[in-house]
Amino acid sequence: MAEKDANARLEALLGRCGVGDRRAFAELYDLTRSKLFAVSLRIVRERHIAEEVLQDCFVNIWNNAANYAAVKSAPMTWMTAIVRNRSLDIVRRPLVEVADEDDYFALGVQDEGPTALEQLDAKRDQARIERCMKGLDTEQQQSISLAFFHGLSHSEVADHLGRPLGTVKTHIRRGLQKLKGCLDS
Amino acid sequence: MKLAHPELRSRLASEYVLGTMRGRTRRRFEEYLKRDAALRAEVVRWEERLTPLAERLAPVEPPTRVWKRIEARLDRAASRRAAMDSPRKAGLWHSLAFWRNLGLVTSVVAATLLAMQFAVKPAKPDPILTAVLAEEANNAVRLFIEQPRANVLNIKMVKPWANGPEKQHQLWVLPANGGAPRSIGIINSKGDTLLNLSEIDSKLIDGAQFAVSIEAVGGSQSGLPGRIVCKGTIAWIPKRPPLPPKQT
Repeated sequence: MAEKDANARLEALLGRCGVGDRRAFAELYDLTRSKLFAVSLRIVRERHIAEEVLQDCFVNIWNNAANYAAVKSAPMTWMTAIVRNRSLDIVRRPLVEVADEDDYFALGVQDEGPTALEQLDAKRDQARIERCMKGLDTEQQQSISLAFFHGLSHSEVADHLGRPLGTVKTHIRRGLQKLKGCLDS
Repeated sequence: MKLAHPELRSRLASEYVLGTMRGRTRRRFEEYLKRDAALRAEVVRWEERLTPLAERLAPVEPPTRVWKRIEARLDRAASRRAAMDSPRKAGLWHSLAFWRNLGLVTSVVAATLLAMQFAVKPAKPDPILTAVLAEEANNAVRLFIEQPRANVLNIKMVKPWANGPEKQHQLWVLPANGGAPRSIGIINSKGDTLLNLSEIDSKLIDGAQFAVSIEAVGGSQSGLPGRIVCKGTIAWIPKRPPLPPKQT
């Protein structure tokens, strides 16, 4: 069903937000809040900060909805990028907590695989990137996942994986290139 | 940062989107982005590539206070804008956005703005009557009503109600002399309503009030309103010369 309809629905709502329709905005919020909150929470890790990020971003989305049409990306992509950018802007972590490690992988990388698999049919874009991710080396996958989901910097990823910084940078750069090749083919 | 080389541009865009580009580099890159449309497009391409990964995340429900704060921020911004530039802005009367954003402005302020709007815009076919209906408890504006033609009431929704289908909202006139309320009709709880107004003109006078009650489906059986959920005083807009420019 779904993805196309959902996109069309979100696009229509954004269009109405662009002309000042607060009811459309409320509906947009209802449809996207829990996904976007999850995105921010994973990066900033503290609920009260994620709440502020969500507030800021939705005010931002409201204020910029009229310009959305010019962006030419899918509505969820656009909104997720706003939330990710805001989350990355405010996250200031001195060190990666090593004690987190088990937790991390339980929460962030492995346990969510099955969910992704269950939804493959409905979510073509997700299916493609998951397939392409599987084509990467394990370390490339891990590094990219840590950066994308948890907002870790190069050096934080290096600390986390216990690898030299240069190695991690190379893994990420090559991993992204490989993803690009796979996704664009 | 040299941004001429296509591969470098793509790499930087990818690390920006992935989030590994941080701190000062990130801010500098954002400066480039403002000026470089092709680079923005490259970033969007990377967002489209990587963002579907986010579908992996299990949704997390944010607390309801987040939405309340968002609304409060929009309301504040809207009333600031309304207070600053509304009398001069063309077509405000017809801007639903303005009305829907008006939540925190009191009905008195709103009515004043309205009057000013008409005063400076004599070219539009002026409504004959207007009213702004607000909740008594907190002055939140719910509806505004205009009479675009002699026998028509145009009821515009500012803030819809959340009632289920078993309840309806009914519009009343409360006469200025304290006489019995008179029903005008059922209105839409979620949106605008256009009502025919043939035989009630005599009650619609300066100082009378509109009130909205919540009723069972079909409206009040007793002929009297149930619980009143919002009301507002009717104001006639007299034809008059424009006001002198506002003193600031």
